[in-house]
Amino acid sequence: MTHILAVAALLAFAAPAFAQSADNRLTLTFETGAETGAIMVALYDSEAAYEGGQPARATQVDVAAGQLEAVFDLPAGAYGVKAFHDVNGNGKMDTNPFGMPTEPFAFSNNAVGNMGPAKWDRARFEVSGATAQTIRIR
Amino acid sequence: MTPTRRTLFMGAAALAAARVLTPDRAYAAQAMAATVDWSLATADVEGDVAPRGLALVHGRAPAGLSGSLYRNGPAKFRRPGGSAQHWFDGDGLIRRWRIEDGQATLAARFADTPKRRQEAEVGAMLMPGFGTVADPRAKIGSADDASPANTSVHKVGGKLWALWEAGSPLAMDPETLETEGFVALRPDLKNMPFLAHPRIEPDGRIWNLGVNGRQAMVWRLAANGALEAAEVIALPRASYIHDFSATARHLVIVLQPWVHTRNVMPISAGFEWTPQAGTQVLVIDKSDLTQRRIYELPPFGFFHAGDAWEEADGTIRLDLCAHKDMDFAARGAHEVLNGVPLGGEPAELAMVVLEPGGRGRLERTGVVGEFPRSDPRRAGLARRFSLHTTGERADRPLASAVAVTDWTSGRTRSFDFGPGYVTDEMVYVPKPGGTHEADAWLVGPTINLKAGVSELHVLDLMQVEDGPVATWRADVALPAAFHGNWV
Repeated sequence: MTHILAVAALLAFAAPAFAQSADNRLTLTFETGAETGAIMVALYDSEAAYEGGQPARATQVDVAAGQLEAVFDLPAGAYGVKAFHDVNGNGKMDTNPFGMPTEPFAFSNNAVGNMGPAKWDRARFEVSGATAQTIRIR
Repeated sequence: MTPTRRTLFMGAAALAAARVLTPDRAYAAQAMAATVDWSLATADVEGDVAPRGLALVHGRAPAGLSGSLYRNGPAKFRRPGGSAQHWFDGDGLIRRWRIEDGQATLAARFADTPKRRQEAEVGAMLMPGFGTVADPRAKIGSADDASPANTSVHKVGGKLWALWEAGSPLAMDPETLETEGFVALRPDLKNMPFLAHPRIEPDGRIWNLGVNGRQAMVWRLAANGALEAAEVIALPRASYIHDFSATARHLVIVLQPWVHTRNVMPISAGFEWTPQAGTQVLVIDKSDLTQRRIYELPPFGFFHAGDAWEEADGTIRLDLCAHKDMDFAARGAHEVLNGVPLGGEPAELAMVVLEPGGRGRLERTGVVGEFPRSDPRRAGLARRFSLHTTGERADRPLASAVAVTDWTSGRTRSFDFGPGYVTDEMVYVPKPGGTHEADAWLVGPTINLKAGVSELHVLDLMQVEDGPVATWRADVALPAAFHGNWV
């Protein structure tokens, strides 16, 4: 059973970048179990990107400063989100000695994987107009 | 995970289905399930068992015997939308057999795991396991999500810990048996595996392993469960490790030639029997885990070992239940669940002897034996007795008898409850005020197949062949359990 969970994909994050069009605004609200550090959010705009490519957008939610929301202005379409809570603020997703995550992580739709990160078919959602999701990350 | 996951999953599923559900096997399973008298041993329990008194049906409670026998074992395998495919993958039912003031009571509750909640909601067994492939609907974010918490139970620091071998301990209340949650021994060690067979020193210190291929975490905990040390060590091979042993000074890790070679599901399908490699025993100094020695032995398989000890000249001894191979794990425990007899050889009680000069050997006894236990006050120290089940036969799984083997005389004395019974592991309970190793009782349950109920027995260690000195009968039948402890 120690083999069942692949190391969660290491999420690489660029500096926050926001488009200015507000036609299709996605608001992600995070429910967290800790009040320190930051939530690292990566947003993908295709299955190929989600399953192993680069995020279309990425941002940090400064939990330590009281923030719990991430807002993206986007072209309408299908998206998937991967996020983890960097509780200790060391800039990475900590893992135990066998490579399993020890910091909370979550996916859009609050999807859970099946022996690995949640796949695109579970995490995929549509952004069209003002769209909101609450993601539990604890 | 990888692009090949679907392929792997489909391959493993087809393999498992072919192994378990060929038309003849499926037919045999149906036929046997309808006729075998031992099907209660792997039957489903539908819900928690409220506390109840037991009826004394034989003898009387020995004066001074007071305490609780906590035991754990799988008790829910089947749901309408899909069932577990292996005996080791059912939901853990934690049972408390209590003897107090001459009376006996029973209570049992399922470990309230994320697995059980998810499966109850869907109406199907979903989670992957030792011999079960994952249902595509399973939601698994960590190994603990798949844990049946079904293998053993220890009392640690005022809590019960229901143990499995690939995930974290699950804390429960010892009185209400209510589940509290998984234990993270340190925040950075969340989701690490913790075997169901910790070795407990006489002063309560806990040693355990958590295994991942050719790596093992060596856990050292104080008696109250506080983490004292956690260190990852390298193993010479990726053996299947269900149990290990320890002397007062050394960890003794038996590395059988059933070795993880493939990343497939279920877990058991990833192991290969490689007898040409022999069995290795890794001995590690408890005070310096870099100090190690490897012994080479002839090939044998095993699940369970007893507490090891060291003689004055440094010779290490440990009792162990040796299998010819690991066919039971790979195949047999599927069959047991489906009511099919194994046709395999039962395990044999044996002694591993590791000489200070570096030579090792396996001394066989010719005695059928499983579930070895001994005096917890002598854990890691020289001792004379092993308690174990016996009487298992090729045409019928599970044991009908219990025994005491005396390593000094080489004699085994046993009591056979008869073919109408399935015996569980029995534990060693010291008599109050006694310090001699022989001053003890055996306490453990059986299933009375004819009456269709579970029973609790007490036998005197020195007169085990005379049978129980006291037997209580429950008004329910609980399936066979794996392991437990007297508190």
